[in-house]
Amino acid sequence: MAETGFPIRMVRGVPVVTAPEEIDIANAHGLRTALLNAAAHGHGTLVVDLGRTRFCDTAGVHALVGAHNRAQAEGSQVLLVITGAAVLRIFAITGLDRVIPNFASLDEALAAAAS
Amino acid sequence: MEMTAHVEPVPAEATFRGIQLPADAALSRLDDWDLLTELLDRTREILRADTAAVLLLDYSSGQLIATAAAGLEEEVSQGVRIPAGQGFAGRIAAGQKPVILDHVDHTTVLNPILRNKGIQSMMGVPMMAGGRVIGVMHVGSLAPRQFTSRDIELLQLAADGAAAAVRSMTARADRAAVTAVQRSLVPSALPVVAGAEMAARYVPGSGVAGGDWYDVFSLPSGELCMVMGDVAGSGLPAAIIMGRMRSALRAYALETPDPAEVLHRLDRKMRHFEPDALATVLYAVIDPGLDVMRLCLAGHFPPVIARPGQPAELARAAGGLMIGVAAGARRPVTTVPIPPGTLVCLYTDGLIERPGEPIDEGLARLCQAVTVQFAEAASSAVMGALVGSEHARDDIALLMFRRSVPPDLPGIATAAEADADG
Repeated sequence: MAETGFPIRMVRGVPVVTAPEEIDIANAHGLRTALLNAAAHGHGTLVVDLGRTRFCDTAGVHALVGAHNRAQAEGSQVLLVITGAAVLRIFAITGLDRVIPNFASLDEALAAAAS
Repeated sequence: MEMTAHVEPVPAEATFRGIQLPADAALSRLDDWDLLTELLDRTREILRADTAAVLLLDYSSGQLIATAAAGLEEEVSQGVRIPAGQGFAGRIAAGQKPVILDHVDHTTVLNPILRNKGIQSMMGVPMMAGGRVIGVMHVGSLAPRQFTSRDIELLQLAADGAAAAVRSMTARADRAAVTAVQRSLVPSALPVVAGAEMAARYVPGSGVAGGDWYDVFSLPSGELCMVMGDVAGSGLPAAIIMGRMRSALRAYALETPDPAEVLHRLDRKMRHFEPDALATVLYAVIDPGLDVMRLCLAGHFPPVIARPGQPAELARAAGGLMIGVAAGARRPVTTVPIPPGTLVCLYTDGLIERPGEPIDEGLARLCQAVTVQFAEAASSAVMGALVGSEHARDDIALLMFRRSVPPDLPGIATAAEADADG
């Protein structure tokens, strides 16, 4: 059973949502809600840390791209931290790896958020 | 404490619980709204109120719409709409908390019908389903009255029963509508193409599904087009968007021969008219001689290709961005040769995704299951190997195309074809 908790913390003034190990149809709605809440915390950039996520299905991808689209419309941005091969794979198939900025570590994402 | 001399009345909770039981059993007999009205009548009786009403939240407009009423029928017949967050009912929906009004006036109640009716006191509670507000139930009294916390509890019980009934009605109505939409949109029969055969499977998910579709049509040029798509989301909204995408794609296919241009126009149309929609689409155009397939992917999984004498593999096609995200780069078009006997397998994620399993494993399983044989048999084999008897939560769509083997090329025919040829 996939986790439902999506902790949000502020790191160097940037809201960071930590995604669980597995994101699928069972918790994608929870992720969507967490991303909405996190976006309301900050004034611009939001980081989604998928560093420990080893599985993300299309429902999870849809939640992330929804947050990206919303951010674009509001003139802000969503940055992703992706390390897992399976997550990178689904982002490559959907073509999102070339559209949503993604980084190999949280530090790199935070550095990009600060610039 | 004073002892009561009269017979203890039946606890009100029991009365409300009682109505939840008939609610299920009676669903098949009672009209949906009769059921709600019955519930409201009972609520009015138990709480000794003069009016009772249910307003349901319409998500697209953000308004509460009067749906059923007892003693306040004009609210429904006149189509009262209250913006969420405003007025009495709107505050209940927005705050997701009960509200008691000891004194009704124009500062507290937006709806003139309630004031004109002479209602003096009101209380209302949210109707919740799946953690979301779906509406408001309220009762009113023509005489000034102070509703108690006990009254609120009873009303909440009734509202919970009403919410469950509404949820089940909506789910049934949605399912029926989704099924009707899907039936009207998925080709009832695949076109007959000389030199090829096709087969398809469509299994709606066990949740409220509805966003997958496939399409097969021919163009005036004699080309054959195949589409496989998956709209994000579920239920009727996804099915409706799917229908719009399907007909838009057909229209663009008639206008331009370039698959990338077709998907580009589709994407532009979706981003403008349905800015919240997301979808993946595969669009393939096969030349009239059936020799090559021009393939363009918008975030969709590549097809599995099985050529005679070779193991099946994912088509080596560069992917393009899914529909509904951004005005990105042009999507690449890959030309895939389909020599006689080749099988092309199109599918949606529901076929290969399993909870907690990387998609590459699902893709590998699919490649293993696809073997060169008649399209119908290949479809059965794939469904048997990947779905089995478990009912998937997500929609599954599968479209199998096979270029036939001409009689003068028996060397690559399948066993069945060889038999058929004698």
